[in-house]
Amino acid sequence: MSLAIEISDLHKEFILSHSGVGSLKTLALWWKKKSYEKLQVLKGINLNVENGECVAIVGRNGAGKSTLLSLIARVYKPTSGKLVVHGRLAPLLELGAGFHPDLSGQENILFNGMILGLTRKEVLERTPQIVEFAELEQHIDAPVRTYSSGMLARLGFSVAVHVDADILIVDEVLAVGDFSFEQKCYRRIEEFRSQGGTILFVSHNASAVRRVADRCVWLDNGQIADEGDPEAVLKSYESAGS
Amino acid sequence: MIDDVKELWRFRELLWAMVERELRIRYKNSLLGFFWSLINPLMTVLVMTVVFKFFLQNQTENYAPYVLSAYLPFLFFNMAVMDSSQSVLAALPIVKKVYFPREILPISSVLANFIHYLLALVVFFFYLFFLWAITGFQITPFTWRIAFLPVLLLTSLALTLGFAFFVSSLNVFYEDVKYVLGVLLYLAFFMTPIMYFSENVYYAAKRHGQEWLYTLYHLNPVAELATTYKKTLVPPGEIAIGAEKVDPLAQNWGLFGITVLVSFATLVAGYSLFNKLKWRFMERP
Repeated sequence: MSLAIEISDLHKEFILSHSGVGSLKTLALWWKKKSYEKLQVLKGINLNVENGECVAIVGRNGAGKSTLLSLIARVYKPTSGKLVVHGRLAPLLELGAGFHPDLSGQENILFNGMILGLTRKEVLERTPQIVEFAELEQHIDAPVRTYSSGMLARLGFSVAVHVDADILIVDEVLAVGDFSFEQKCYRRIEEFRSQGGTILFVSHNASAVRRVADRCVWLDNGQIADEGDPEAVLKSYESAGS
Repeated sequence: MIDDVKELWRFRELLWAMVERELRIRYKNSLLGFFWSLINPLMTVLVMTVVFKFFLQNQTENYAPYVLSAYLPFLFFNMAVMDSSQSVLAALPIVKKVYFPREILPISSVLANFIHYLLALVVFFFYLFFLWAITGFQITPFTWRIAFLPVLLLTSLALTLGFAFFVSSLNVFYEDVKYVLGVLLYLAFFMTPIMYFSENVYYAAKRHGQEWLYTLYHLNPVAELATTYKKTLVPPGEIAIGAEKVDPLAQNWGLFGITVLVSFATLVAGYSLFNKLKWRFMERP
């Protein structure tokens, strides 16, 4: 099988600022004190994800899970190491991130689809499916500010799964929407996988990990503590936590 | 930097979508959105005309179109720089999640304002035409000078984009940049020949025997652009300086050349600073 994501010896460090320079005033007051400290978030990650695989990442808060996903999504630049992504990647956006409240659902679909890498034509072709999947036919011409949070989540999910990405990145969002919509999301994810799509997701929900993941990676303090069969990794992760 | 431009070109469709989105948002909630936004320049010019013609009893011909011809581009500069200063910060939730060239954010703010300015210019030309008709076709508003307008527009765009790159990236790290900016833009309005003329500056400097002040004043690219806009768009009439009337000064091409250089240098410097900072937007303290 070919690789979807190749990661070797990936490091990421952030500059931790104690003064919290966020304004010129603090800069002026603190210029003498160089109170910067480097924070190592990822300390040498080696991970290969094959095409069609579904990999879950578990770990405590601050272990570097989201940072890893963000690096894969090209939001950050790695400090050092190799990171190659083959194919188109779509991150599942948080509740309405990137939606403009004054624009209609329709207009937001266009914009969000394009930001996820579709052309205008492709988005317009898919809009009916997106609307149908999100069950928002009634509201699609209303401004998004009138939507409930459930409706926003449905719309966001629907756009992301319709961009036909090769790799889907999910950062703990499946807990939105009602039960029946959640089931629909799982079905859609199964469908996506049966078509050969790759999924990488972060979750604190052990049952979700057991349900969909082929492989589980336990990230602890910026390093991979364990990886392999979800059942086994979850067991060692849970026993380490208690 | 060449690579960044290439990457930006790959995402041009997204850039256009973003410009379209900004214009939609602006004109969304009212059918007359565009005309509402013309109220600001029109009211300003009306008030300035009253102050100048009645309170200060200035006898300059074509005062109102003169003011408008410099105030519209200034307003474009002002609005575009203010809007773009917030552009990256406002989009942070999506910047955190998805990759796209970040410069799309300030560029789309500037382009949306630029399109708005072009529309306002069309209205301005209608106004000039109207003025031409009611004055019995005495002043000819459309002279050969108008051919120079594209160069002026391009220079304004370059300067504005350059400033937009500076303020949008710096404002992510220092949020008071926008307050400082507000003060500077307010002062810039007075240090730019909008409600007065570059001739006022020249004769004031001459009276004190310090003609170099006129040159210094026009080294500010915003001031030089305003002067050139006036001389390009409105046919020069006599300008009243105190009690006497003088002929307008000729366009100083040397000073304008400097402004073109400064504008494009600002663009290049702003873009390279933006590119240096853009990978750290997410890591702001």
